[in-house]
Amino acid sequence: MHEIQSKPAPQAEFSRVKCIQGFETIQSEYPVYLSDESKLSPKPFDYLFFPKNEAELAAVLQEMSRQNIKVTIAAARTGLVGGSVPQEGALVSLEHLDQVEAIFYDRSSGEWRVQAQTSVTLKGLDAMLRSKHFPDLEKSEDLLVRQNLEAFKQDPNSYFYPPDPTEMSASLGGSVVTNASGARTYRYGPTRAWVRGIRVFLANGEYLDIPRGKYFASPAGEFVIYRSSGEASSFFIPNYSMPKTKSTAGFFAAPQMDLIDLFIGSEGVLGVVTRVEVALIPREDKVSIVLFLESDEQAIRLTEALRADKRLQLDFLEFYSGNALDLLRNLQTSEPSTVGMPAIPGNAHSAIFIEMSFDPRAESPDYQALDETVTSCGASLANSWAGYETRELDRFKVFRHMIPETINSILAERKKQIPGLHKLGTDMAVPDEYLMEIWELYRSQCEALQLEWIAFGHIGNNHIHVNILPKTMEDLKKGMELYGLFAQKVVEMGGAVSAEHGIGKIKSKFLKLMFSPAQIDQMKTVKDAMDPQGILNPNDIFSLEGSR
Amino acid sequence: MKIVVCVKQVPEVTNVQVDPVTGTLKREGVKSILNPFCEYALDHAVRIAQALGNTEIIAITMGPPQARDVLLRSMELGADRSILVTDRKFAGADTWATAFTLASAIRFAIPDFDLVIVGKQAIDGDTAQVGPEIAEILGLPQITYGIEVVVTSSGRHIRVKREVERGYEVIQAAFPVLVTVSKGEVVRRAPSFQDVLDARKKPVHIITAAELQIPEEELGLKGSFTQVVKVFPPTEKKSTRIVESPESADAAHEIMAFLQERHFLP
Repeated sequence: MHEIQSKPAPQAEFSRVKCIQGFETIQSEYPVYLSDESKLSPKPFDYLFFPKNEAELAAVLQEMSRQNIKVTIAAARTGLVGGSVPQEGALVSLEHLDQVEAIFYDRSSGEWRVQAQTSVTLKGLDAMLRSKHFPDLEKSEDLLVRQNLEAFKQDPNSYFYPPDPTEMSASLGGSVVTNASGARTYRYGPTRAWVRGIRVFLANGEYLDIPRGKYFASPAGEFVIYRSSGEASSFFIPNYSMPKTKSTAGFFAAPQMDLIDLFIGSEGVLGVVTRVEVALIPREDKVSIVLFLESDEQAIRLTEALRADKRLQLDFLEFYSGNALDLLRNLQTSEPSTVGMPAIPGNAHSAIFIEMSFDPRAESPDYQALDETVTSCGASLANSWAGYETRELDRFKVFRHMIPETINSILAERKKQIPGLHKLGTDMAVPDEYLMEIWELYRSQCEALQLEWIAFGHIGNNHIHVNILPKTMEDLKKGMELYGLFAQKVVEMGGAVSAEHGIGKIKSKFLKLMFSPAQIDQMKTVKDAMDPQGILNPNDIFSLEGSR
Repeated sequence: MKIVVCVKQVPEVTNVQVDPVTGTLKREGVKSILNPFCEYALDHAVRIAQALGNTEIIAITMGPPQARDVLLRSMELGADRSILVTDRKFAGADTWATAFTLASAIRFAIPDFDLVIVGKQAIDGDTAQVGPEIAEILGLPQITYGIEVVVTSSGRHIRVKREVERGYEVIQAAFPVLVTVSKGEVVRRAPSFQDVLDARKKPVHIITAAELQIPEEELGLKGSFTQVVKVFPPTEKKSTRIVESPESADAAHEIMAFLQERHFLP
């Protein structure tokens, strides 16, 4: 079915929605709403709304449409590309839509699912799943909700929601509209793979309930949306092919695609997601292993070998370059406890970090395949760190996140001397066959320009974050030019210029490297059909100037 | 040298929940770990072994069959072999009965030990009694709350830096001796994955009540001078006030007003 009917929301009075008016008041009393993790500066905007429920959100959207005021949507504000940083008009914070609504077993798919409002955090959801304690559901007046919860508690297994973007304070809805990914995307795919349903409010205040597997583009690529007034709008999905890598650049498109996939990763420019339904899978015991290596090139060879060995099922495959380990070594020299791990071995000039299933009670665990593959690349399981208790997994995770945090603090210090400086972090992925080639390009170019740089990240998905740490404005200029060169080469290799951070307001110029003007126009056509006045998330993904 | 390290399995949380009806700890979904102070004890043992060479470290625990997990962990962290003292008859043991059983097992299985190292306490019971009781039962000198443990150059004594209320004491004792430790390495060890795999090939020797030839009335609940009558969480003190407000600015205003009212702020 390629036709869908939007429904009117319950009524709420616009005047009763909590609203802070005036940029000066917002600046002085609500400063946290001015930016997100991108630290992008906002432009003056006039209203900050806090709808308590969907009805109030609909009232805000209707009123803003009527007055033709642009609306930026924010939830946890953990994005890195300025998606929720207002540029004009109004900011709507969805933070009060934070209830878990149901946990239930879906018989047709044989999986447990959670239905929750958009602002439930990933961290909060994980804690509830671990403890099987859901305060929102336990006090529910709906008997079925309580019965389903009881059935979940009786299930002897523990369950988890696989997507794990680094920032677990991210909201569930935010992770859906950005198609968030993280280390475990290597095994489980990005957020898209786990979304089973969404509710999305359109700019006119009406909403669509979209379960996965119900609404598909027609063979000609068309969708039709009927409004409750009887009006219809139709549009054709873009006809470009998606890169064969992780990508959060532009709208998802595929022949006869599911409508839900259009909204996942659309960065909120098509509608406001207020409810999501996601799938859970049984939690397994895991072991985290940091394998120390002689060189970055050895890390790449080992990555390729681990990927090629079909006997191995790794949850993630992450990378620390030699210069990343040096950064951590310096921290350990000044204060051994800061890194939280023993001294990094002196012979380690690169490292691969993997996680895989592990039963600590197994009498004779079989890791021969891992041993063989590691040994074949000249490395050794003896030159590693391993941990499997929950506190150990947490400790290793902190270690994994320490590099970007350390880089940020170094740049913050430099910024005090030279305010114009900022970090340049790539977020690009290439197809498997180009991993060594892109690495050689990154390394040779950064070295040739004598820039300080550090590489780490999701090497299993050929998605290495190259961070350039400029010391001078001249470094920054050279780094920006290099960034452009990297993006161009990545596109030539069939990769993505934004593999997980999205485009937002910061990376739209790179979108133009990946998509032709005609393809960007196809995206705008979809945007125009959903949001004819162009009020939602202005300047995210593409500038609205020139929109039809 | 033979070093015995006594270890214990504890819940992997500090904030365990108590079943209000039965008064017992809720253990569903709570994983178990090696007591952190026992990990420190192993760390001291490994340092001594590294300094001396030709040293054997034996981890020992009393507990149900699943306590084997902490022995595996101990062997990952450096113990060469381990002993699991397990029997239904040991159930319900208080600190004395536990110490008595462990001491008997040490005497039975490792009569030629030189040094016993014990974490100062377990993070679940927090009694800090078992170590000193083992020393008493085995007739050993004991040094408690150690933070540095070294063998003197003569090789005949242990020298322990221990924490006291206003500083440190350094005490020396002749072997055999028991030391309890309160701290270990600055940063906890991380075994290699090879260590983890190798630990599963090291021997775990199981000892039952029958082998120890102790009268039943000395074991478990029967051999305990004390019994846990009730377990309950401490009553929450209500002195904390949490300001809940949908908007941070409102909350900040309320906190400001409160502080001004109490003259903490002008």
